[in-house]
Amino acid sequence: MPRRAIPRIMRLAPGLIALFAIPSAGAATSAVEQQFSHTVRPFIDKYCVGCHSGASAAAQFDLKAYTTVESVVRDHPRWSLVSDKLTAKQMPPSPMPQPPDEARQQVIEWIKAMRMSEARKNAGDPGVVLARRLSNAEYDYTIRDLTGVDIRPAREFPVDPANQAGFDNTGESLTMSPSLLNKYLQAAREVGDHMVLTPDGIDFAPHPMLVETDRDKYAIKRIVDFYQRQPTDFADYFQAAWRYKHRAALGKPALTLSGVAAENKVSPKYLSMVWQILEEPADAAKKEVGPIAKLQSMWRALPPPSDPDGVLRAKCVEMRDFVVRIRNHTAMQFAAPVVRGIPAGSQPLLNWKYREFNSHRRDFDRADLRNDTDPEQTVLPTIPRFPGLHQEAAPRWAAVTAKARAGDPDLIVPAAERPRYEASFARLANVFPDAFYVKERGRYFPDDSEDKGRLLSAGYHNVMGYWRDDTPLQELILDEKGKKELDRLWDEFDFIAAHTERTWDQYYFNQSGEVDGKGAESGRPRPLDHKVTDEAVIFGLRDAYIAKAEAAKNPVAVQAFKDHFQWVNDILRRMERLHAEAEPHHLDALLKFAGRAYRRPLTKAEHDDILAYYRQLRDKDGLSHEDAIRESIVSVLMSPYFCYRIDLLDTGDNAHQSGTIRLASATSGGAAVHPLSGYALASRLSYFLWSSMPDQELLAHAASGDLHRPDVLLAQTRRMLKDPKSRGMATEFGGNWLDFRHFETQNSVDRDRFPSFTNDLREAMFEEPIALIEDMIQHNRSVLDMIYGNYTFVNPSLAKHYGMPEVSGGEDHWVRVDNANEYGRGGLLPMAVFLTENSPGLRTSPVKRGAWLVKKVLGEVIPPPPAVVPELPNDEAKSDLPLRDMLAKHRENKVCASCHARFDVFGLAFEGYGPIGESRTKDLAGRPIDAKAMLPGGVESEGFAGVEAYIREHRQADYLDNISRKLLAYGLGRSLALSDDLVVQRMVARMPANGYRFDSLVETIVTSPQFLNRRSPESHEKPDLPLRKGD
Amino acid sequence: MPQPTDNSARRISRRTVLRGAGVTMALPWLQSLSALADTATPAAFPKRFGVMFMGCGINEEQWSAEGQGDQMKLSKTLSVLEPLKKKINVIDGLFNKAATGQGIHPAQTGSLLSGAHITKGAIIHSGISIDQMIANRVGQDTLQPSLVLACDIPMTGYHETNFSLAYSSHISWQTPDSPVPVEVYPSLAFDSVFENRGSLRNMSILDRVRDSAEALTRKVSSGDKSKLDEYLTSVREVEQRVDKMRQGKDKAEEAAKQQNKPTFAMERPANGLPEDLREHTKLMCDIIAIAFQTDRSRVASLILVRDLSAMIYPFLDVREGHHGASHNNLSEGYERIARFHLSQLAYLAAKLDSMPEGNGTVLDNSCLMFLSNMWAGRKHDNMRLPLVLAGGLGGTLETGRTLNYLDQSEDKRKMCSLYLSIMDRMGVKLDRFGDADTRLERL
Repeated sequence: MPRRAIPRIMRLAPGLIALFAIPSAGAATSAVEQQFSHTVRPFIDKYCVGCHSGASAAAQFDLKAYTTVESVVRDHPRWSLVSDKLTAKQMPPSPMPQPPDEARQQVIEWIKAMRMSEARKNAGDPGVVLARRLSNAEYDYTIRDLTGVDIRPAREFPVDPANQAGFDNTGESLTMSPSLLNKYLQAAREVGDHMVLTPDGIDFAPHPMLVETDRDKYAIKRIVDFYQRQPTDFADYFQAAWRYKHRAALGKPALTLSGVAAENKVSPKYLSMVWQILEEPADAAKKEVGPIAKLQSMWRALPPPSDPDGVLRAKCVEMRDFVVRIRNHTAMQFAAPVVRGIPAGSQPLLNWKYREFNSHRRDFDRADLRNDTDPEQTVLPTIPRFPGLHQEAAPRWAAVTAKARAGDPDLIVPAAERPRYEASFARLANVFPDAFYVKERGRYFPDDSEDKGRLLSAGYHNVMGYWRDDTPLQELILDEKGKKELDRLWDEFDFIAAHTERTWDQYYFNQSGEVDGKGAESGRPRPLDHKVTDEAVIFGLRDAYIAKAEAAKNPVAVQAFKDHFQWVNDILRRMERLHAEAEPHHLDALLKFAGRAYRRPLTKAEHDDILAYYRQLRDKDGLSHEDAIRESIVSVLMSPYFCYRIDLLDTGDNAHQSGTIRLASATSGGAAVHPLSGYALASRLSYFLWSSMPDQELLAHAASGDLHRPDVLLAQTRRMLKDPKSRGMATEFGGNWLDFRHFETQNSVDRDRFPSFTNDLREAMFEEPIALIEDMIQHNRSVLDMIYGNYTFVNPSLAKHYGMPEVSGGEDHWVRVDNANEYGRGGLLPMAVFLTENSPGLRTSPVKRGAWLVKKVLGEVIPPPPAVVPELPNDEAKSDLPLRDMLAKHRENKVCASCHARFDVFGLAFEGYGPIGESRTKDLAGRPIDAKAMLPGGVESEGFAGVEAYIREHRQADYLDNISRKLLAYGLGRSLALSDDLVVQRMVARMPANGYRFDSLVETIVTSPQFLNRRSPESHEKPDLPLRKGD
Repeated sequence: MPQPTDNSARRISRRTVLRGAGVTMALPWLQSLSALADTATPAAFPKRFGVMFMGCGINEEQWSAEGQGDQMKLSKTLSVLEPLKKKINVIDGLFNKAATGQGIHPAQTGSLLSGAHITKGAIIHSGISIDQMIANRVGQDTLQPSLVLACDIPMTGYHETNFSLAYSSHISWQTPDSPVPVEVYPSLAFDSVFENRGSLRNMSILDRVRDSAEALTRKVSSGDKSKLDEYLTSVREVEQRVDKMRQGKDKAEEAAKQQNKPTFAMERPANGLPEDLREHTKLMCDIIAIAFQTDRSRVASLILVRDLSAMIYPFLDVREGHHGASHNNLSEGYERIARFHLSQLAYLAAKLDSMPEGNGTVLDNSCLMFLSNMWAGRKHDNMRLPLVLAGGLGGTLETGRTLNYLDQSEDKRKMCSLYLSIMDRMGVKLDRFGDADTRLERL
C-alpha cells in the first residue's frame, strides 16, 4: 500500500471514529445476544462446564461465569482460545462426549461474530488509559534526559509487575505503596545529591556531590577533559603544514591554510604560526641558523606528496621530538625568593614561582647555550640530594636538567655569531612553548618525583591548592570562544568547589603559623571577631609576611606577598559577588527544570508556588540557597506531575474545537472522546518511542499546536525512531514482549557445570536481542528479519560462545555478523538468551522453549498448566531416557496432549542447543541429539532452520498479527480491547506494501484514533479493568 | 524548658558557618538521666557501636596494660581508664595489612575501618567501613542511621605519597567512592539528632506533594482518581510515620516532665566551632551519649583529631601542632596529647555507664572502640595499633581483659577479624570483611 494512503488524520475526533464505524452495528448486536442464550450457553453447559467450572476449574478457566455477552467481550482473548480449541478439535478432549460438528461450528462462528460486532461498535475507542506512575525503566530514562546524567535512581525499586499483555507500562499493573513512596523519596534525594549550581544555572554531576572531594573531582575533570581535547601535538601541525604545502599534488589546489587546519582538526591560528616558521625565514636576506635552520631542513626533507615509503608521520614525529628536546633543554627555571624565617615552600613564595613559570614558557634561557670556543664539558654536574620538606627544589632540578643538557650538540653555537643564534632560539621558543598547559603537578613543582595524578594540583605540602598554568594554550591554540570556555570552566571550578576559599582556610589553620616562627606546619588561632576569609584577616596576615620580607631586604618577596594576598582577597570577594548574582539564575533554572519535569509549561499558580516554597525554605526554615534549591528540586521530582503520567484534557483551544462523540457499547459506558492535548500527545509519543520524556523539539510542536497534524506527527515519529533514545523502546518493548527483561539476574545456570557462563556472557546474551531490535528500529528494517534474518549482533564473549570468528575489543564492542546461519544463529529464535532462560539449569526444556515460541512469537494463548504436573528429572545427564522420549510419554495422556502437542515439538527442534544455548551434538548424558520434530499440521522439520521454514510457510500471519498486537498494546499503554481489532488488521494489511518495515507498524499506531484521543473524564466512572488471571 | 524542635529558625547555612568566627561555648545543659528511653521497655535493649579515632599514634612507652579485671595494671596514658577497668578490653598486636607497605599517613588511614585497598591520585577509592556496614543494617530502625562526627575540619589535597588527604580526614565510608561527610559543628550534630533534619525536610516535601496531588485529583476522571489515591494514601502514610517519630519524642518529654525526672534541659549549642578543643570533644561525646541513650542512633564515629592534623594544644603546654608533635612521640608533651584523647573515651564510656538500662547501663549494651592509625609517630609504624574497647555489647563481649596478639602469626591478628567479631555481636553476620574471613580468637 502506498504511503499516501495513510488515513487523513483530522483534528476532530468524531471524524476519525466515523472512518471505522459500520452503520449496521445495532442489528448485529441483537443477533449476537440471541445466539448467545439460544446456542452458545447450552453448548457450554453441555460440553464444557463439567471440567471448566468451580474453584478448581480446568486451566483455571471457569466457563460458568460467563453469563452475558458483555462478560464474554471483556475476556475475549480467552474466548478466542475457546474458538481455537474447538477448531482444532482439541476440546472437548476425546474420552468426553463430542458435540456434533454443526453445533461446534455454530459456536465458532458465534465467537467470530461477537468479536466483529464488538470491534465495529467501538472502533477507535481510546479505551481506559489509567493514570499511572512511571515504570522503573521510564523513571530512570526520564531522569537521564532531565538531568543529562544517567543516575538510575530506580535501581533500588522493586520490580514492576506486567499487565495481561505482558507490558509493565500501564496503570493496570503499576501501583504505589508507602514503601515504594519512601523509595521515590530516596530516589529524588539521590538526584538532588547530584545537583551542581553554576554561575548561570543548574547542572547535574555524574556522581553525588556530597563531600569536597566530589566537587573537586567534578570540576577538575571538566577542565582536564578540555585540555586533553586541544590539539597540542607539534607533529600534527607539521603534518598539516605538509598537506597544505602539497595541496595541489594531493588533489585539493583550492585548500586554504585554515581549510587544512579544519580537515586535520588542528588550530588554524597556530598552524599559520607553525607554517610561517617552517616556510618563511625571519630575515629573507639571511640564511637561517641554529635550531630553526635544522627544523627547516628536516621540514624540507619530508617525503614527496605520494609519501612512497609511508614515513611521513614518523618524520613529523622526529621533528616534534627535536623541538621538544631543544625546548626542554632551554626552558626557563625559577626558584622562590629567599626570605629568612619563611620556608621556600610557603604558598605565597611558591605561587610567585608558578607565576614566573607561567609567563616564561615562550622564552628560553640564554645561559643554556654554549659557545664553540668554550672548553669541553668534562665534569658532569652532580645532582644534589632531594631537598627536604619546605626546602627549595629548584637547585636540584637545575642540576638534573643541566646533566640532561650536557652534550646536546644543538646547544653549541659559534661564539662569533651568538646573537644570530640566540635570535633563532628565541623565535623557536616563541612559537614552541616548553608546555601548553600543566595538568598535573607533583609537590614543590618542578621536581622529578613520581607524584602523578595530582590533577591541577598546586603541589603545596599537605594542604590542598590548585594552580592554573595554561597561558601558552590560550595565546597560541585557542580562539576567542575556546578562551572564554576555559575561563568559564576555571571560574566554575571555584564557584562549585570553593577551592580558593578552602585553600585559604586550610592554609590559615595549618601553615600560616610559619610567619610567626612556629614552623611550617602550624596555623594561627581562629580570629574571634572576624571570619577567616575577611579582608581584614587576609591583609593582617599579609602585613606580617611583608614585615619579614622587608626585614630580609628582599623587594621581590615584598611584591610577591603583596600580590599573593591581594589575589586571594580579590578571588574571594569576586566569588561572593558571583554567588549573589547567580541566585536569580538558579531560580530561573529551577522553574525551567520544573517545566521540563512536568513535560509542559508551568501554570502561573505552579510558578508562584515553586518560588514561594523556595522562599519559605530560606526564610522560615533557614536553609542556605543551595540547600533550598536542592529541596525544591526534590519536591518537583516528588510531584505527581513528574512521577505520574496523567493525560489531562486540554483546557485550551483544542477542547473548544472538538466535539464529543458517544460510543455505543456497554463496555465503553457510552464514553465521550476528546483529542489529547498537544503536550499529552507529545508525552504519549515519547514514552512510546523512547520510554522517556519529550525533548525540546517535540515540546515545541506541542506548544505550537501542530503536533496533531499528520505530516508533523509522522515526521516527528520518524525522527524519534532514528534517535539513539529509541533504544529505550528496543529494551522495554522487546524485553517485555519476549520476556527477557529479568535475564540480567538469571541465576539458574549451574556455573560449575557451565564455567563459560560468566557475568559478561550473561550480559552479552541479554544485550543481543536488544541490539537486533534496536537496529531494526533505528534503521527501519523489516520485522520479518526478527525471524528470518541471517544476521545477529555479537560482542567478544558472545562470539566466543557461538563459535564465531573472534571479535576484538572490550565487552562494549558489538559487531553485526552476517551469514549467522552458518553458526546456527540469526534472528531472535536461536538466541542464547531465550534458550538459556527457558532451560531449568542442567537440562534443556523443550516444553518451556516451545511454549515461549508459540506464546511470545506466534501469539498463541496457552492456558496455564494444571496444578499437578509430572516432574521431569533435573539433570539430563542423570536420566535414563532422552528428554524427547519422556515428553512423548507425557503426550500419550490426551488431556496433556491437548496443549503440549502444540508446543513441545517446537522446543524439540531446538535440542541442538544446550542449557546455556550452546550448539551441541550430544546431550549431557552423551546421547546424540535428535532435533527432528513433527510440527502441527504434520509438517516434518529439523532444527531451527526447519522451524523457520515452517513459520514462513504456515505461520507468518500469526507472527505478524502478534507483533502488531503487542506493539499496539505497548504503544497505547493498556490491554487491547476488541475495538482495537481494526487497527491491528490495518497494521497487518499495510505491511506487505511497505516491505514489512517497522515504521509502517508504528505509523499506523500513532495515527490511530485510540492513540490520538482519550475518553473524557466524566465518561468512565467505573473503569472496566480486565479480569486478572485466576480471578 | 527549651524546645529543641523550635531551633529551625536558628539553623544557618553550613557554608556561612564554615566561614564563621570562633566562639566560646559553655555546656548549657544539665546532665541528663534517661527520660526518653523509659517510655517503652523493649524486649532486648539495642546494641550500639561507636568509634573514636585519634591520628598519628600514641607514646608507646606510656601505653601498656597487664592483668585482668581489678588486677589490671594500666600505664600512664591508659590510667584515665582506671575507674572503668572492669568494662574495657585493652587489645594489643592487631593491625591492618592493607594499610601497610604503601606509604605513611593517608595510606595508613583510608582503609582503617574497612581493610580495603585504597587508590592513589585524583580518584579516591576505599571500602565500606565497619560503622557504615553496621549502620546499613541496623540504622533503619533509628532516626539517624549513624552519626559521623569530627572535631577537626577535613582536608583535601595530596600527601607526599600521592594519596589524597581525604583519606586522612575521614574514617567512615558508606560507598567505596566517597567518604561520609563529617559533621564538625556541634550545633548541626545536635540538630541531626534532635530534629532529624532529613525527616523534617521530608515532612515539608510530603506536605507539598499531598497538596498538589489533592488538587490534581479534582481535575481527573474517577478512574485516574483511584490511581492517584494510591499515591495520596502512600504519601499520607509516610507522613504519619515521620510524624510518629516526632510525636514519640514529644510524648517522652511530656512523660518525663510529669514524673518530675530531670530531662533534657539541653539547649542547642551555639553556631560556630568551639574555640577550645576540650569543649568541642566534650560536646560531641555528649551528643553521642544522648543519641545512644535515647536510641536515636546506634552507630557513631568521632574523629577527635585527624591524621596529619595541625591541631594545637595550648592547654597541654605543647607548642607544636599535632602532626609535628607526633614525630617526637616519646615526648611528655605527646603523651599528654594521647592521654587527652583517650580521656574522651573515658568520659563517654563513663557517661554511658551512668545511664541505667535494664539491669545494667547503656555502656553494657554498647561497644566503644578507640584506636589510632599507627603505633609510633616517629617511625610511622602501623604493624600494631593502639586499641581499647569499652562496653559489653549486651553481655556478648566479656570485658575487663587485656588481650595480646603480638606473638601470633599475621593472619591471627587482623583488625578485620576483630570487625567481624564485633559485627557478629551487632547482628551483622558476614562471611568476610576486608582481608579477613575468620573471627578474632579469644575475643
